[in-house]
Amino acid sequence: MQDIIIYAQNKTPREVNQDLKQFAKNNKKITIKNPNAMHYMAAGLTEPVEVFIDGSAGYFVGTMIHGAKKHVNGNAGWFPGDNMTDGELIIDGSAGDGVGQGIYGGTVVVKKDAGSRTGEIMKNGNIIIGGNSGFMSGLFMMGGRIIILGDISDDAGESIIRGAIYVKGNIKSLGKNAKVEEINAEDKKELMEILTPHGFDLKDDDYKNFKKIVPRSKRPFYGKESEEG
Amino acid sequence: MCGIAGVVFKDGKIHPVGDALTKMLDALQHRGPDSAGFAIYGGLGLLENEYLLNIEVKESPGLLEEVKNTVNISTPIKKEEIIPSVENFIIYRCKIALNSFSELKPLIMRIDKIDDVIVLNGSHSFEMIKDVGLVKDIAARYNTQDKMGTHAIGHTRFSTESIVDRYHAHPFQSYIIPDITVVHNGQITNYWKIRDPLERKGHIFETTNDTECIVHYIADKLNEGYKLEEALEQSVKDMDGPFSYIVGTPNGVGIAKDQLGLRPGVLAENDEVFAIASEEVALREVMDTHDIEQISPGEARAYTI
Repeated sequence: MQDIIIYAQNKTPREVNQDLKQFAKNNKKITIKNPNAMHYMAAGLTEPVEVFIDGSAGYFVGTMIHGAKKHVNGNAGWFPGDNMTDGELIIDGSAGDGVGQGIYGGTVVVKKDAGSRTGEIMKNGNIIIGGNSGFMSGLFMMGGRIIILGDISDDAGESIIRGAIYVKGNIKSLGKNAKVEEINAEDKKELMEILTPHGFDLKDDDYKNFKKIVPRSKRPFYGKESEEG
Repeated sequence: MCGIAGVVFKDGKIHPVGDALTKMLDALQHRGPDSAGFAIYGGLGLLENEYLLNIEVKESPGLLEEVKNTVNISTPIKKEEIIPSVENFIIYRCKIALNSFSELKPLIMRIDKIDDVIVLNGSHSFEMIKDVGLVKDIAARYNTQDKMGTHAIGHTRFSTESIVDRYHAHPFQSYIIPDITVVHNGQITNYWKIRDPLERKGHIFETTNDTECIVHYIADKLNEGYKLEEALEQSVKDMDGPFSYIVGTPNGVGIAKDQLGLRPGVLAENDEVFAIASEEVALREVMDTHDIEQISPGEARAYTI
């Protein structure tokens, strides 16, 4: 089966997405050329297709996908992978604010730096940031993992409820309800299993540098901890 | 939503900066269709005492003559140009000489007293172009792609809290010191807290638009001796609300972003160009790079030549 190419120049985001959804029904690999940081690319894609975006993406790339694998070989704007339920989004460059906002599953990888509020209100899934992650990363996080190989900025894990943020670099400051723990052997094993397939070949010693940000309480605002199942 | 952009050619020499900014703003057109504007610095070549006035005049018998008479009473018009616009208005552009910069704002206020006339701006070191409509239409109307200069800032407007007209199109300018302009994406929610002390110092507000408040704030700080980056940093501490804005001065540009980072701002630079904008798509119009930097919440950056 031949690779399909969609040329995005002179098309609107809606036209690109309509083409993409049509081709995804009968093809396994689709390339989007000349994306020029277009917004909303591959929004709502539910076919198990591989999409290669040859350039940078704008806002909400891969929002609400279920099962597709997408690779952006440039940067991404705000909210890449927003609310995805399954699949994979790989960004070779940097990304803006809200990486993996509200994801229910799947994996988002940003090879370089990410902006603010990475993984805010995420429920499950994995987010990997190869560089630094900005202000309030893990804001109101409710599950899943954020793995940051660089530094994390102010108010890390602000109002975190569940899930964990693994940070290899420095933690500038913690948000409310966040605390830092040392990682254990199980954490290390999980990190290796997640990072290695995505090309992050860390040395054994590197794993010792990870700290784990977790919630102090599952019910920091109301109710009782004992009410948790 | 609004789109903002700024570009500096680092060598300080004259470049086709109008073309660069036009492309950047066109790439940001989706962020606001109501109006667009440019402040293009370094290409006017005016003598030390010369200024350029941009005056919006309704097409009405005798009105333009009244404007010219009002200007000529203060200072002879040295050169003039009429640019057709839309909605039965023209832009009357004239070059004048003044004894000092302090005469500029009083002259503008005298002209503004004429019904159906408003001075869009008066400047020495930059050319202001702003109008209602789309970037491409405004660019064609004013030949922005032929404009030369050292640096520039610009805006595409999605109006939220004030009317859509030429005067409320960005950039806004302050006359506290010469040639300070601002383009802005967002809202200043403690507007009156910022405005009140500025008015107590005697600074004149023409609108209730928060962008005008920012430009007077920055001009006031620069007038007090702050460097551009220092003024931007202080503004982030003093101003509340979601915002990112770009300042233009005769020597450079700068950007500031609110402390929660609720409005976008990205930056890229190489040996030749420093560029800032709302989105990467605008930066890619002036630079072929994958190294895009996100402006952090509460961060201020500036480049001066």
